[in-house]
Amino acid sequence: MNARRIVPLALLVLALIYPVLTMESAVYQRMGALVLLAAIGASAWNIVGGYAGQVSVGHAVFFGIGAYSSVVAFVHVGLPPIVGAPLGVAVSVGLAALIGVPTLRLSGHYFSMATIAVGELVRVMVSTSDFLGGAQGLGGPPMPRTVLDLSFLSAMPYYYIFLVVLGVVLGVTWGIERGRMGFYLRAIKDSERAARSLGVSAGRYKLYAYMLSAGFASVAGSLYLCMFGFIDPESGFGILLSVKMVVMAALGGAGQLFGPLVGALILVPLEELSNSYLGGQGAGITYVVYGAIIVMIARFLPSGLLSLFERKPAPVKPTEPTSAAEGGHAD
Amino acid sequence: MLKTTRQAVLAGAALIAFGFAADAGAQQTVKIGAVYPLSGNSASTGNYAKMAFEMGADIINNGDPELAKIFPLAKGGGLPGLKGAKIQMVIADNQGTPQAGANQTLRLITEEKVAALICCYQSAITVTASAVAEKYGVPFLNAESVAANLTERGFKWFFRTTPVAADFATAYLSFLKEQKAAGKKVDSIAIVHENTEYGNSVSSVISDAFTKGGLSVSMKVPYGANGPDVQPQVLQLKEKNPDVVIFISYTQDAILYAKTMKELNWKPAILIADDGGFNDPAFTKQMGPVTEGLISRSVFAQGKPGSVAAMMDALYKKKTGGDGLDDVSARVLQGFFVVADAINRAGSVEPAKVQAALKATDLKPDQLIAGYDGVKFDDKGQNILASTLVTQLKSSNYVAVWPKARATDPLVLPYKGW
Repeated sequence: MNARRIVPLALLVLALIYPVLTMESAVYQRMGALVLLAAIGASAWNIVGGYAGQVSVGHAVFFGIGAYSSVVAFVHVGLPPIVGAPLGVAVSVGLAALIGVPTLRLSGHYFSMATIAVGELVRVMVSTSDFLGGAQGLGGPPMPRTVLDLSFLSAMPYYYIFLVVLGVVLGVTWGIERGRMGFYLRAIKDSERAARSLGVSAGRYKLYAYMLSAGFASVAGSLYLCMFGFIDPESGFGILLSVKMVVMAALGGAGQLFGPLVGALILVPLEELSNSYLGGQGAGITYVVYGAIIVMIARFLPSGLLSLFERKPAPVKPTEPTSAAEGGHAD
Repeated sequence: MLKTTRQAVLAGAALIAFGFAADAGAQQTVKIGAVYPLSGNSASTGNYAKMAFEMGADIINNGDPELAKIFPLAKGGGLPGLKGAKIQMVIADNQGTPQAGANQTLRLITEEKVAALICCYQSAITVTASAVAEKYGVPFLNAESVAANLTERGFKWFFRTTPVAADFATAYLSFLKEQKAAGKKVDSIAIVHENTEYGNSVSSVISDAFTKGGLSVSMKVPYGANGPDVQPQVLQLKEKNPDVVIFISYTQDAILYAKTMKELNWKPAILIADDGGFNDPAFTKQMGPVTEGLISRSVFAQGKPGSVAAMMDALYKKKTGGDGLDDVSARVLQGFFVVADAINRAGSVEPAKVQAALKATDLKPDQLIAGYDGVKFDDKGQNILASTLVTQLKSSNYVAVWPKARATDPLVLPYKGW
């Protein structure tokens, strides 16, 4: 067994026993669950944003729909919130199809702008809907009635639930990545026109990626609701949520299987710890530190942290090292 | 030379040893956690709250000789019920999100081991944070979130000192009925409100309470907040000429309404502004001179000189460098002293004992900073004596004019304006 096998295996074992290792600290145990939850959302975004290169900045819409479907299942029907998750997935996938057909024709920034617009529109509509609790939001079961309410004191059950879901999301993504669709999506990302000219049905595959991505983002929303037990328009549809999904994926490496997870592994602890240790002073230092680190990574590793571990093509040796060639610019 | 140095070192060591011994013998620290918006949209409020907490802890730990004459906890030297244990406030930032609020609450409970929590200003954050405290069984006091359902969740560790929206409506109702009995005309009432959640919900709570209480709201004028012009709304009012107008607006609109009413030269006999924009220092500074006699509500009014509220206000001004207590900071400071008093009576930081002490809380109005009728919790944890004062703007300052028992100034009607 060589190192290339041992390292991933060790990381997997670490992921499996993390909650046991952090039994002593509820905060760190919970942080593990939060990382996984964020990774689910960012990995969902990665399918359409990373692989297909369609940068959606409105993915919170699907997250919010998932969270609201769950809370509605409880508030209006009295069911355990998680029962609402399939409904959320159905609505999200349907809405993605509805939004995707017209907006995925837009290219570049225009698609991003359209997704922002849809996100804000839904947020405003939800905040004026009495059925959805208006701007005040809706709460899940205050006290767990049965274990199905998924309301636990310890973060350990959440951790394992999130780990399984993340495993499914990454598994599906992996399948796509290696299959025909993965090649199509990458071709579209590199040059949609070239892909079309080669017979790739670009519109259809972008739409599939968008719908799949929406469905998974919705699951993340439902899980969030189970853990926090409350949702309001800002925490369900706020633009910051969408931005965080993008930043996490970009930071780790957009279009790479483990990119969003790596991004979440850095950003979530950074956010939590900087808030815990600096937030109490009340000068907003948290965000300054948070922002500075993102800027540093963006400046020095623009393709994400995972690019550090990529096998780089062997440097081309100049055949005739002249002073002119050394001083000249490659591009 | 050498000798003196050695003596000094010995003396120093002895002092340090003595200091440690004294520390270990008599003192212990009581940690109280507070999770407030120190960044984000409500950062300004959160930072004023932080100053209120620091001031409260300072009063208990170091004392204030003047205040101590009427306020037992101000004697200094920590909490007498815990052999002089000092209070240490552990303040965390909820960043204005329910998620950060819950996460920080968990941290304060499990890592900082706080004896009790005071949290969180925004109702949405209070929901998630209190759920964490409830699961861990740590006393949780909310001092300012007004969402009615917070106390309807069957929580055992949740206590709320502030009045809720319905209490404000009741205060206006009783106030207006009293004016009616005194011969003032209050037959037609108009509510002008901004048309998002805040305005809509407060407006419906008020009109429901009025209808039940026998006063009817004859017109409602919703408008879009932060618009450039409110002439149509004011003209509508001018045409119907109601006796009483109640405004529910944010600061910018409040200023615009005040200007426009002066321009169109119309004013009702009684003008009520439900807190919000009309209580903002920016409003009173700019528009005070043309809104003389405006009626509003606040849980805080300076009160008579020498009262607990007035002395706390003076101390707070010193702390903030000029800004006195207002509706929110007074509620925060009140929440702090309710918790401190409960821990002191419990004589312990054990959660169950603090919870029992909170349940037994019975504070009288003369011991309060906020203008409540007292502090006493029902089974749901709501302060049943929470109430609000009706205030009136006089020379750009709000003074308490109702209820009579706590009024510092006489009520002047009709509304004078400019």
